[in-house]
Amino acid sequence: MAAVLGISAYYHDAAAALVVGGRVVAAMQEERFSRLKNDPALPRQAAAACLALAGISPGDLDAVVYYENPYAKLERVMTSMARDFPRTFGQFPRAIGSQLGSKLWVLDQLAEAIGVERRKVLFTEHHESHAASAFLTSPYPEAAVLTVDGVGEQATTALWEGRGAALRQLGAIDFPHSLGLLYAAFTAYLGFEVNEGEYKVMGLAAHGAPRFRAEMDRVVRLESDGSFRLEPRFFAHTTERDVGFSPALEALLGPRRPPGRPFDLDANPDDRRAADVAASLQQVTEEALLGLARAARARTKMPALCLAGGVALNAVANARIAREAGFERVFVPPAAGDAGGALGAALIGARDLGDPRPPALATAALGEPFDGGAAADLARALGLTPTAPPDPAAAVAQRIAAGQVVAVCRGRFEWGPRSLGQRSLLADPGRAESRERLNRVVKQREPFRPFAPAVAAAAAAATFAGTPNDMTPFMTTVARVAPARAAALPAVIHVDGTARVQTVTADGAPDLSTILEAVGRETGDPIVLNTSLNGAGEPIVAGPVDALAFFLQHPVDAMLIGDALLERGAP
Amino acid sequence: MSRRALALRPLVARATAGIVWGSPRWAARVLFSFAHAEASSRLDLLAAARRTPSEARRALYLRHALDETRHAQLFALRSAELRGKRGLPPLGLVRPDSEALFEQLGELGFLAFVHRGERRGRQQFESYRAHFARRGDDRMRALFDAILTDERRHESYTGALLEELAGGARGARRALRRAALWEAWRRWRRAGRALAGVAYAGAMSALYLVLAPLALALRLRPAAGSRWLPPPGPSAGEL
Repeated sequence: MAAVLGISAYYHDAAAALVVGGRVVAAMQEERFSRLKNDPALPRQAAAACLALAGISPGDLDAVVYYENPYAKLERVMTSMARDFPRTFGQFPRAIGSQLGSKLWVLDQLAEAIGVERRKVLFTEHHESHAASAFLTSPYPEAAVLTVDGVGEQATTALWEGRGAALRQLGAIDFPHSLGLLYAAFTAYLGFEVNEGEYKVMGLAAHGAPRFRAEMDRVVRLESDGSFRLEPRFFAHTTERDVGFSPALEALLGPRRPPGRPFDLDANPDDRRAADVAASLQQVTEEALLGLARAARARTKMPALCLAGGVALNAVANARIAREAGFERVFVPPAAGDAGGALGAALIGARDLGDPRPPALATAALGEPFDGGAAADLARALGLTPTAPPDPAAAVAQRIAAGQVVAVCRGRFEWGPRSLGQRSLLADPGRAESRERLNRVVKQREPFRPFAPAVAAAAAAATFAGTPNDMTPFMTTVARVAPARAAALPAVIHVDGTARVQTVTADGAPDLSTILEAVGRETGDPIVLNTSLNGAGEPIVAGPVDALAFFLQHPVDAMLIGDALLERGAP
Repeated sequence: MSRRALALRPLVARATAGIVWGSPRWAARVLFSFAHAEASSRLDLLAAARRTPSEARRALYLRHALDETRHAQLFALRSAELRGKRGLPPLGLVRPDSEALFEQLGELGFLAFVHRGERRGRQQFESYRAHFARRGDDRMRALFDAILTDERRHESYTGALLEELAGGARGARRALRRAALWEAWRRWRRAGRALAGVAYAGAMSALYLVLAPLALALRLRPAAGSRWLPPPGPSAGEL
């Protein structure tokens, strides 16, 4: 029985994950502790929290596994810089500096930071970590596995065959041909923050028409074998510091959208053009992913597909793959991006030390538990008056039914970018004003950003087509809303009639499940609007200090902290 | 005001106010740097709130952190307004950073550090406030007025807590001296890093030129194909 800590760090979204005896014990992102969104720093606090939760010390660890090969990464950076000589002159010192200054020594740094012997610190390969994070936590004994992201060591995309606990790579597509970098370049072009604004591009796409599709076909070429090729002249991965696109892209599609300018999709033609570019990008991304998935199906003949890598967080594309690629089942884990690599690395380490493959991931609640008592004490010290309702779930449900926005902090925080009921903002999905209020006042984000519904799994099929499925517990796909139900759920339906639904069971999200039961009793419909509990530009709330900070800064009506309830306007 | 606002002393702030605020473009940058400092200070205060053993101090640090959040928003908003008037986009998202001060210095050292920063910031902002009052810029004067109210309170409560934790005024003075020394040491290290950065950039530029033959050799090889490639073998040391 081995104890293995997996680590991802130094690019974006650093994380630690602990596997003991083949079971996933804890998995946490560093941002929840440092309060820096997508914090790439060595995840010291997340690692310490994982060990503390398991009650083990660093000396008890059998291995610490880093999620990629730092030496191969350096080689790729050097080679790509040299290949674009002399245009990379401005980028070279910074790129090589970050490699030689820290990334190359990450294994030694981990040994020192965590307090383990250097010989116990190992590494695996970037896309293998992603593949393991999906396949080894999936419910499938065998599956095709696709990993698609920006870039790992050299590969940007890889196809795997998973059987039992084994993963065999069948092929890969190398840098610079990358769907992740394609999406990132357009994220910057559309004026959003790279590695942060990709969700915004997805949300914006729903409001546009793909009228730039012909232009997109010049930017990315889709091949008949499922592979794809980016046209290099439109990109500047190695020559630009902040944006991954070249002036040629602006010549093709028009000038980039200035970052930070408020959106006005109704009146501003430039913003409508931006939405159309986003829609064109989304369409070509979906088709590229579909091509990859069909190739995976043809090559492996497997009935199930696992997806991971940052691009696998594209819920709309995942739904299309599930419908059209020919697989019977599709699974995308809750932390499909780089954070998930930490879990994949830990699982590979545990497997190689002889531990069995873990059971299928039933919950994303793998973080630190919420200390409700400490939160109530802090609330009192702040002059607030927490109350202790006899039935907290019923108290929350009554307020949601009355049109209030309620924050919930209970249980262990979620693994991955989604709030799935442990650190959530809940509201009535039947009120369109819930969406406006949450977007403009509470979360202060773009008005086009959609919200998601959470529904009791047993009641899901009546409203959301094809649910529950293997992705819906983790909100990694979308489902079409039954037309008869659409009018009842205006706050959570995308403009195309779909919703990024979460199906909730007592095993997966026990507290949210209880709340949904109570909402069902109140309204007859066990559905709520569920969005992440964080302020603009901040990571999701973790502990009592973050929770109280959120409550004091944002106009929510109430917050459940453990078993206690805080209400706005209460004495 | 927080510890990391421009490291100008009040006198210097007064003497340079005309230059600092003379150009709207430069003023927007200065305000943005204040927003960054406030947002970074917020992170350290939140970390302190998580780590202090005292419930009362936890609440105080949290309230202080919320003030810093508001200040960061006010500065960033004003910066964006100044740039917007000239048709320029905002300077982007404020990206705070944290130095893990509470971990590094302990609670007493952290408090001494924050208190010094608050005092310095208050003095600096008072001189800026006076500058804008003289110029009749009510908008900017009101901005600094609003923030100064909080700064005075922060300076006062951190001073009181410092004495309480240090066991009296003498202990507090000792902690402040230690914080001053630590800040000087930090400045020295930063200067060293900046110097090393310049030397490093020079060395890397030279190395880049040495890469020229490699670049030529690489160009003779075909670039990475976009088609599926067979899997590579494992590297040495890899699992």
